[in-house]
This record gives sequence, C-alpha cells and structure tokens, in this order.
Amino acid sequence: MPRRIHRHVLAVALLAASCAAPSPTGRLQGVVVEDPTPKPSFVLTDTSGERYDFAAETEGKLALLFFGYTNCPDICPVQLSQIAEVLRQMPDVAAHTEVVFVGVDWRRDTPEVIRAYLDRFDSRFVGLTGTAEELERAQVAAGVPPAVVDADTGVAHAGWVIAYAPDGMNHVIYPFGTRQSTLMNDLPVLVTMTGEDRR
Amino acid sequence: MGEVTFAAISWWCTATGQPWTWRWIPYPGVWIAVAVPTVAYLRTARLSVTRRHRAAFLAGMAVFWVASDWPLGTLGAGYLASAHMAQFLLYTLGAAPLLLLGVPGAFGERILARMRLTEGVRRLGRSPILCGVVYNVLLLTTHSPPVVEALRRSQFGSFAMDLSWLVSGLVLWLPILSPLPGGRPRSVGVRMAYLFSATALVAVIPASLLTFAANPVYEIYELAPRVWSLSARDDQQLAGIVMKLGTIPVVWGTLATMWFRWARREGADGG
Repeated sequence: MPRRIHRHVLAVALLAASCAAPSPTGRLQGVVVEDPTPKPSFVLTDTSGERYDFAAETEGKLALLFFGYTNCPDICPVQLSQIAEVLRQMPDVAAHTEVVFVGVDWRRDTPEVIRAYLDRFDSRFVGLTGTAEELERAQVAAGVPPAVVDADTGVAHAGWVIAYAPDGMNHVIYPFGTRQSTLMNDLPVLVTMTGEDRR
Repeated sequence: MGEVTFAAISWWCTATGQPWTWRWIPYPGVWIAVAVPTVAYLRTARLSVTRRHRAAFLAGMAVFWVASDWPLGTLGAGYLASAHMAQFLLYTLGAAPLLLLGVPGAFGERILARMRLTEGVRRLGRSPILCGVVYNVLLLTTHSPPVVEALRRSQFGSFAMDLSWLVSGLVLWLPILSPLPGGRPRSVGVRMAYLFSATALVAVIPASLLTFAANPVYEIYELAPRVWSLSARDDQQLAGIVMKLGTIPVVWGTLATMWFRWARREGADGG
C-alpha cells in the first residue's frame, strides 16, 4: 500500500509542477544570441496599404518579428497563437510590444488576406507585405534565409520569431517548439532591456 | 504501383505533428481490437446470454471503437487535450460499464476460469478501496504530462494508454457491476459511497489544474497544429471542464438508479 500511495503522490506532484504558475527567473530562456545584432532597417507595406518602416515604427518597443505565410499549415499558426495567448495574459507587456508578421508568400498574401489571417490571433498584430524583391531584402536584413516560394512545393521559410528588445538589439530568438512558459518568462525581461541595464 | 510496407501502416492513433484534416485515416489495429473480442463474444456467448446482455456488450464495443478510431482517437492522440479527455471518459465511464453489463455471471465465471482469474476478480470487486486506489492511480499517472508526452508519440505507447484507461474503467466499475456471484460489496450504501468517492474526489485535482493552469500543461497539445483555431489554453480549459463535468451524468445517473432501486426494494420488503 505505501508503494501505491507513493506513486499516487508522485503523479499528483508531476501534474501540479507542470501546472504551477510561472515565476519569471529574470534570465532569458529562449535561444540567446551570443552577439546581439541590431534591428534591421526595411520598409514594407502594412495591411492598410501604408508604408511601414520597421525600425522607426518599433523604436523603443519590444518587437517580435516573424516571417511566415498565411497558408502555412503548422508552424505559423502555432507561433502566432503562442505569442497571442501569452500577450493576452500580460497586458502590461503587450502595451510595449509590437508583433510584426511579414507574409513571404507574395503571390497570395495580399494586405487583405494578411489582415484577415492575423485577426484570428490578435487584431493588434502588424502585417506586412511587399514585392518579391522587397521581401527578400527584408529577410536578408533580418539575417534569416529568404523564403523559397514555389508553386509546386509550397513555401519554405524561417520558422523562428526574432525578438528585438527596446534597446534595438536582437538578444534572443524563439524557434518553433517554444512553449508559452518560456515566452511568459522572457517577454517581461525583454521589455525592460532598454540599453541602460544590459543583461 | 506504390508499395505499402507493414511499418508504414498506422495501427493505432498517435501524435504525428501533421496538420489536422478531415481526411479519414484507417487504423487496422483499432479494427482488430474491436473485431476480435466482439466475434469471440458472439461465438462463445451464443447460447448463454440474453438479448439485453448482448446489446450492452455491443454498445460497449461501439463506444470503445468511437473512442479509439478516427476522428476522436486521432484528435485525442495528437491534437486536442479536450479530445484526449473525452476519450478517457468514453473508455472509463462508457465502454467499461457497458462491457461489464454485457457479461452474465455464469459466462463471466467460465471465461475467467480459463484464465484462472475468477477468485482474483471476485476479491477485487469486493475491495472497493483497492479498486478506487487502482483507478485513481491510473487516472493521475495517465494524465501527468511526462507520461502523456512519452506515450502519445508512439503507436504502442498510445495503445498502452488507451488500454490502461479501459482496464482502469473495468476496475472502477467492478464493485458496482461485477457479474460474478459474490463479486461486489453487499451494501448498496457502500457501493454508492465508493462510486462517488472514486470518481469525484481525486479527479478534481487534475481537472482543476487543467482548468486554472497559467500555461498549457501538455507540450504535445500546445505545439500541435491548430484545430478549428482553438487556442491551446482554451483547449486545455475545455479538457478540465470535460473532466470535471463529464462524469456527472453517468455517475449521478448511476447513483440515482441505485438509490431508487434500493428504496423500491426496501418499500416492497416493508410493505
């Protein structure tokens, strides 16, 4: 009987440990960039048809940049949903955060399509598009491999979210598979990285 | 012609990471698991069971099939925590009691005697505390994130989890519905108290944790391709609610039935 009770307690403990409310550690848990890179400078078109200067529009904010496409069946919806769910729980952080989604499928991702897609996650998310050349330049500037858009094989794109802290530097990235607990820990840390108190 | 290898067949529902579609997926392992006991029952029990027994057994196998096969089995194995929870309830509160109701005493004794399990099952049914502990240990273990992550990623693991739920359901209902003569506690009060405590007390812990957790608990469902735009947290909260409220109709329905039957019997004895 003691053995059974032991297993019982262990199972409860495992479940409880997994469910416990996260307590920010003050240290980044995403994939930390050893040599932080500066925020790239590129201009694309947002979903209202206006030109959007990424560096200028996100200055002084935490910017989460993601290159994806609206017909993506797996990575994009999960990544965007993870960010949206975490920001919904952290309104103070959300107020200082700009989530920027760049639609790399220039054939299908029109401003209207991107807007409708992003509204499924959070209507505050910024959606950008451009010509094939503009999109490639933006990806190169951000240091990600340019997406391959192929009529037959679909779209191959970088699946990670690039986080630029308010100090304008990319300290951390979030590959596909990043859990909400990691984002819950990191985002409050990142919004305070203004350049005066570097990690 | 395309070559289909033995290993390429999906025998049992498992997490694949593939986007969810409504395209049907065949799971021959599930069909075998449904067909073999059904055929064996119908052949063996041909002469010794009533129509009511047969209907209960077939309904139990049908519930087992629905819980294991596409689409619910697929959704529960790799997409939605709420579907995982619905499967659990169907196995433990649907299939298991119906299967027990489908086995008459003499038939049950004959089958168990072949496996030399008659006395063990009879004693287990008379020990509600032991049954309650076994059921709840299995409930907690098979809902703990490390176990779910480990088992749902392979066909064999997923099969083991589904089977353990069916077994835990049979153990849960044994003190209430054991077909063996002398195979359950005599007192209706004890049986009612047992059913309530076994199903309502411990299950509240995982159900509440799932409902109120700050973050998704199960990585496998958190990072699964989305289904119907349902967010991971909403899905998890739904799972907690399903677990908390899903037992009510069956358990309270059974308790009410037991109570009224007992009251009627007492009335008849007294009158």
